[in-house]
Amino acid sequence: MPVNHQEVQSLSHLELLAKQVVEGFITGLHKSPFHGFSVEFAEHRLYNTGESTRHIDWKLFGRTDKLFVKRFEEETNLRCHIVIDNSASMHYPEVKGGKSLQNKITFSVYSAAAILYMMKQQRDAIGLTVFSEQIDVQTQAKSSTAHHKLVFAHLEKLLENKTDVNRKTATADALHQLAESIHKRSLIIIFSDMFENIDSNEALFKSLQHLKHNKHEVILFHVTDKKHELDFQFENRPYRFVDVETGEEIKVHSNLVREKYIEAMKEYKSMLVHKCAQYKIDFVQADIHEGYHQVLLAYLLKREKLH
Amino acid sequence: MAIEITDSNFEEVVMKSDKPVLVDFWAEWCGPCRMVGPIVEELAKDYEGKAVIGKIDVDSNPNVTMQFGVRNIPTILFFKNGQVVDKQVGAAPKNILAKKIDTQLV
Repeated sequence: MPVNHQEVQSLSHLELLAKQVVEGFITGLHKSPFHGFSVEFAEHRLYNTGESTRHIDWKLFGRTDKLFVKRFEEETNLRCHIVIDNSASMHYPEVKGGKSLQNKITFSVYSAAAILYMMKQQRDAIGLTVFSEQIDVQTQAKSSTAHHKLVFAHLEKLLENKTDVNRKTATADALHQLAESIHKRSLIIIFSDMFENIDSNEALFKSLQHLKHNKHEVILFHVTDKKHELDFQFENRPYRFVDVETGEEIKVHSNLVREKYIEAMKEYKSMLVHKCAQYKIDFVQADIHEGYHQVLLAYLLKREKLH
Repeated sequence: MAIEITDSNFEEVVMKSDKPVLVDFWAEWCGPCRMVGPIVEELAKDYEGKAVIGKIDVDSNPNVTMQFGVRNIPTILFFKNGQVVDKQVGAAPKNILAKKIDTQLV
């Protein structure tokens, strides 16, 4: 019987890609992060009549006639929540004619998939939140295989999603909602370009503070197309710049605005870095042209600090 | 060495002590207790003269065990002036236990 190639291809293509990334990376690092995540036997508790007999320590009962239940410590397992900004600006630069040019959303999705794959190996619980103007997708943090598949499916959907609508960003609202809705002491990994309305900067920082207040560990991957968005390297000619989130257009000669633009971006970035340092949030600059390794390195270092 | 506490000397050693007291409720057959045991011994050495560190076998001393409603072992109770001031149920690393004693020492 011929193999249905399409079906085979559709089988977690993303997961495989993530596997290559992670394993390649770990060989390079010569240190495996896969240890110390087991459940630990922490205490014996007296058995209560009527309770499930599943966890009774039968060996102990055999030796001493005492009925005790084994209790396990699971706190070494990490709950990790990945948050992806899916606003229109994250779909920059446009992927033209199906070329494998990377944009911010594909970079974020692949990095997230790589991290998720690692979490899966470690049997850590993972959850996913995707937001634009509102929270589009939110899953609980779980470690079952079925749940991992669901999360991967959500990620794959993000890749298919073209910039058909002018989705704005509401990072602050999304983060506030998230901070309240998930378990305390989670590891939260945010992928966002942090392009918010300039007026709502304060709200954005408050939401980051909210996350820290609920005792979450936070890593913020500031995903940018450094060449264009930070360094403004456009040819010396007139351009038509379109705000992908509002549709606003301006025609301007790139050289005329370069200095001012770079200045403004620098100021915004340094403010972001300062605030993150203040709230003890790991700020990681992630240029989409530099590959996934920087993303994973930062992530692993963070994990080392946690354990 | 951690002091061996029993039903009969509990009043004397723990309740009447003017120093903070750590009491480890343990049993010989309990795996996690054997992880905590050496930690308690180390603490006894570290806090010699500053705090009283003792252990009590729940099998041979049911009275005290019942009195404090200890149903899980290992359980570590912290006493100050004859009152239970803190509690640690289940195996815990040394630094957590040390921190709890330190708070009572201040």
